[in-house]
Amino acid sequence: MTTTRRNFLTLSASVGSSIAFNLALPSMAFSAGKNGNIPQEITSWITVHDDNRVTVRIPQIELGQGITTALTQVIAEEINLELSLTDWEFYDPLTNYNRKNVYVHTYSGGSFGMRMLFSPMRIAGAQIKEMLLLAAARRWNTDARGLVIKNHHVMNPATSTSVGFGKLSEIASTIPIPDPSKVKTTAQKDWRYIGKPIPRSDAYDKSTGKAIYGIDLKLPGMKYAAVKQCPVFGGNLVSFDSTAIKSYQGVQKVVAIKAGPSGYTVPPFFYEVIDWRMDDAVAVVADSWWEAQRALDALPIVWDEGENKDVSSTQIEQKINNELMTQGEVIRQEGDVDSALLKAEKTIQSRYHYPFLEHAALEPMNCTALIENGRVEAWAATQYGDEALRITAYAAGVAPYNAKFNLMLAGGSFGRRLHSDYVSQAVQIAKEMEGVPIKLIWSREENMQRSFYAPVMTTDFTGGIDADGNITAWKSHVCQGRSVYQPYTMSRMVYPVPNIKIEYSTVNTPPPYAWMRGVGHTQALWMYHGFVSELAELAGMDSLSFQLKLLDEKKVSKTAPEYYNLEIASTYEDAVSRIKKFRERLLHVVEKMDNKSDPNHRGSVGYAVFDMSYAPGLGASIVAIAIEIEMSENHSTLKIKNVVASVDCGLAVNPQLVETQVAGAIVFGLSNALYGEITLDNGRVEQSNFHDYPILRLKDTPSIDVHIASSDATLPSGIGEGAVPVVIAALVDAIHTAGGPKVRRLPILKNDISLSA
Amino acid sequence: MAKFVVNGKSVEAKADPDMPLLWVLREKLGLTGTKFGCGIAQCLACTVHIEGQPVPSCQIPVKDVEGVQITTIEGVGGKTLHPVQKAWIEGNVPQCGYCQSGIIMAAIALLEQNSEPSDAEIDSAIGNICRCGTYPYVRKAIHAAAKLKRATPGAIS
Repeated sequence: MTTTRRNFLTLSASVGSSIAFNLALPSMAFSAGKNGNIPQEITSWITVHDDNRVTVRIPQIELGQGITTALTQVIAEEINLELSLTDWEFYDPLTNYNRKNVYVHTYSGGSFGMRMLFSPMRIAGAQIKEMLLLAAARRWNTDARGLVIKNHHVMNPATSTSVGFGKLSEIASTIPIPDPSKVKTTAQKDWRYIGKPIPRSDAYDKSTGKAIYGIDLKLPGMKYAAVKQCPVFGGNLVSFDSTAIKSYQGVQKVVAIKAGPSGYTVPPFFYEVIDWRMDDAVAVVADSWWEAQRALDALPIVWDEGENKDVSSTQIEQKINNELMTQGEVIRQEGDVDSALLKAEKTIQSRYHYPFLEHAALEPMNCTALIENGRVEAWAATQYGDEALRITAYAAGVAPYNAKFNLMLAGGSFGRRLHSDYVSQAVQIAKEMEGVPIKLIWSREENMQRSFYAPVMTTDFTGGIDADGNITAWKSHVCQGRSVYQPYTMSRMVYPVPNIKIEYSTVNTPPPYAWMRGVGHTQALWMYHGFVSELAELAGMDSLSFQLKLLDEKKVSKTAPEYYNLEIASTYEDAVSRIKKFRERLLHVVEKMDNKSDPNHRGSVGYAVFDMSYAPGLGASIVAIAIEIEMSENHSTLKIKNVVASVDCGLAVNPQLVETQVAGAIVFGLSNALYGEITLDNGRVEQSNFHDYPILRLKDTPSIDVHIASSDATLPSGIGEGAVPVVIAALVDAIHTAGGPKVRRLPILKNDISLSA
Repeated sequence: MAKFVVNGKSVEAKADPDMPLLWVLREKLGLTGTKFGCGIAQCLACTVHIEGQPVPSCQIPVKDVEGVQITTIEGVGGKTLHPVQKAWIEGNVPQCGYCQSGIIMAAIALLEQNSEPSDAEIDSAIGNICRCGTYPYVRKAIHAAAKLKRATPGAIS
C-alpha cells in the first residue's frame, strides 16, 4: 500500500510549502497533467505514472473491511493490471462534487460498498482498457483490434512491438470515454483476480506500524486540540475561565465551538435524510495533545445543561413502556390476529429490551484542519467523504470549491464516522488559528460519552399456536428510542404466519442516533428469534426443529395481497425463494456443526439464519450460524466454544475478505451481546472507558469457522454486517436450548450469567 | 529532559516529565506506529517493550524511563521482518489494523518467553482489544510465527 496519498503526506511533512501548493490546487484531478511527476489521470478512476505503475482511486473508506484490496482487484481485472505495479488512493470528495458524483457511491455503510461499486468499476476498467488500446493504435497508426495489454504495456503481437502505459497515458486521457453500455467486460471464465483470495494490500503497512491513520498525520507547525462537550445531551456552553489554565504548560488557546450540523449519515437518494446536530463544545489547543487534555480537564466550564439534565435510563425505559400501551403505526398486517389469538390452543406474551450501544472504534475520533488564505483543508477518516467535505466548507464558511477534504485510514468505525461532528469541530478551531494546522483528538471518555448511539428498543410480543404446534397468531409492537424510521427491523421477518400484526413506534430520547454495524436488525432479530424459541417450547419442540418447520415455502400465502407490500416481498416467488435459501443455509450449519463437534461431548447449540435486508431486491447476503456453548449445571456460567457460519453472499469477490469480515462480525456481535450497554443517569452517560464498557477479548473468543456457499451469482452482495444480528440470535437460542435463563434483555451478562474462565 | 534508548538509538525528549511515554513517542519522536486507544491501560494498543517486557506506554510517565531500553513496532525485525510480522502478513491478520502494533509487540514478547505457546498461554498473554475481531487469526498467526521462529534460530527478534 505505497499509496500516492502517503507519498503526498511524506512530502507535506518534509516540505512546508506543499500544503500551500496543495491548497492552490483545490482538485487534484484538475491538476493532473504531465508537468513534473504528477501522474496522468485516465477517466476519474486511475492515474498512470511515468514508470507505468497505476494508482486506483477508491471511493470508499478503508476501515478494515478490505475494500481497497477488493475494489483494486475489480478494476485491475478489467484493465488487466498487475497487482505488483498497482496501488490505490482514496477518492477526492471535491472531484466527486465537481464531477457530479462520478464515483457513483462514496458512502461506506450498510454493507453497500462492493454491491454498489462492482459493476461501475468493471465498466470503468473496461473503458480505460479501450482508451489505452486506442491510444496505442493512434501512436502506431494501426487498428486497435488485435492489440493486447500485458504487464502495463500495450502490445501488438503482429509486430512484436510494445509501449508502456506511461508513454500512452497522455494520449489515452484525451480519447473520448467509451459508451459504458458498449464496452466489453472480461468474461468470468477469464478472471484472474475476481473471486480469488488476493492478500490484503495493507497487511504489510499494518503489521509494521507504517500505516498512517488520521491520528498519525503530522504537518509542519501543527498544534494539538482536546475537546469537551456538555456532559448532558443538548446542553449549551455558558462560559469558561481560561485564566485558570494560564499557567499550564504548552497551552496556546481556548476555543468555543458552536453547535451546528454534523452531516447526513446516508446518501439523500437512499433513505430519509437527517442533518444531525452536534452540541456546543470547548477546545484547548496546546503544543501536545496530552498538555491540551490536561489543561481542558482543569478548565472551569459553565454549561446550561438544558432539559435533559435529569434523564435516566429508567425514565427512558418507562417512556417506551408507556408508548407501548398506545396504538403504534401498523407496518404489517395479514389475516385477523385478534380472533386467531382467541382461537389459539396456547398463547404467550413476552417483552424484550435492548440498550443503547456505542461503537467503540479503537482509534478515537480525530481530524486535522488548516485554514489559510480563504481556503480550508481537512484530513480525517470518514465513512462519508462527500458529507465531510460539505461540513468542512460549512464550518469554515467557504464555498465547497475552496475546501478540500482528504480521507485517511480509519482505525475502526462501525458507523460512528458517518457523522462529521469531529470534522466540524476541528475546522472551527482552525478558523480561530488561521495558518496553523490543528489536530483534534477526542479522549476515550469523550468518545464514549458524546457519541451517536445505536438506539434503545423494546418489543412486546404475543403469540398463539394451534394443537399441532403451528404459529397461528403473531402480534408485536416495537418501540425505539430516537432513531431513523426503520420498520424493516420487524417487518422483514421471514416466517410465514397466517395472522400477523406488527406495530411500530418511536419515542424521543436524548442521545443522538447512529447507525451501528448490523443496524436495526441487531436490535430486532434476537428479540423475535428469542420469542420463536419461546413458542417452540410452548409447542413442546426443540428450537431448531421449530425453525425448520417454520421455514416452509408452502405456508407462504398466495392470496393475501398485503403480503406483497414492498416492505416484505416484491412477489410471491421472491418470498418463496427467500425461505428456501434460508432453509438451505440453516441446514448447512447444522451439518457443519455436526461434523465439527463430537455429539457425545457437545454442549448446547443455538441456531439462527437471516439476510441483512432492508427491502426486497437489495441483494442481501444470507448468513446462518450455529453456536455451541457450555453452561454450568445451575446455568450461572457460560462458555462459548464453537461458532460455525454459512454465508451466501452471491459472488464472493475476495473469499478471504468475506471470511474475515464474517468472523469479525461474529466477534463484534458476541461482544455487544455479552457486554454492550450504555446507560444514562442525571442526563449523563455512565460508562466512560473500556473498564466499564468491556469489549470481548481473545481469551473469550470461540473457535470460528466460516463457510462460503458456492454460488452462480454474477453479482456480489454485502458482507460486513450480516453476521452481527445472526450471532446474537443464535447465542440467545443456545442459552434457551441449554435450559438457561430466558434472555429477554441484553447484555446477556446482566441476566445472572457470567463467562466461565 | 528524559534520556533513554528507543529502537537502539539514544534520544532526549524535551517534554514534561509527567507526559506519558506514548505521547512522547508519537508526538516528540514521530514514532506513530504505537497507538492511543484509551489512555488507561485497558486496550493495550500502546504496548511497547521496556527492557524486553510488554508494557502499555500510556501509563508510563517519561521521567520513569530515564536510561532504559525501549522497543516500538518500528524497531522490531531490524531490516527484515520479524517472524511474527511475517506470520501476520501471511495470515492476513489486520483488518482496520489500529490495534495490531500492540498485539504484535505482545506476541513478540510472548515468543521470547515461550517458543511453543499453547492456545491457553496465548489467551493469557494477549489481553489487547481488537474491535474488528481478528482474534481467531491472531491466535493462528502466533502459532505460525512460533513455528517460523523455531525453524530460523538466531533470527532477529
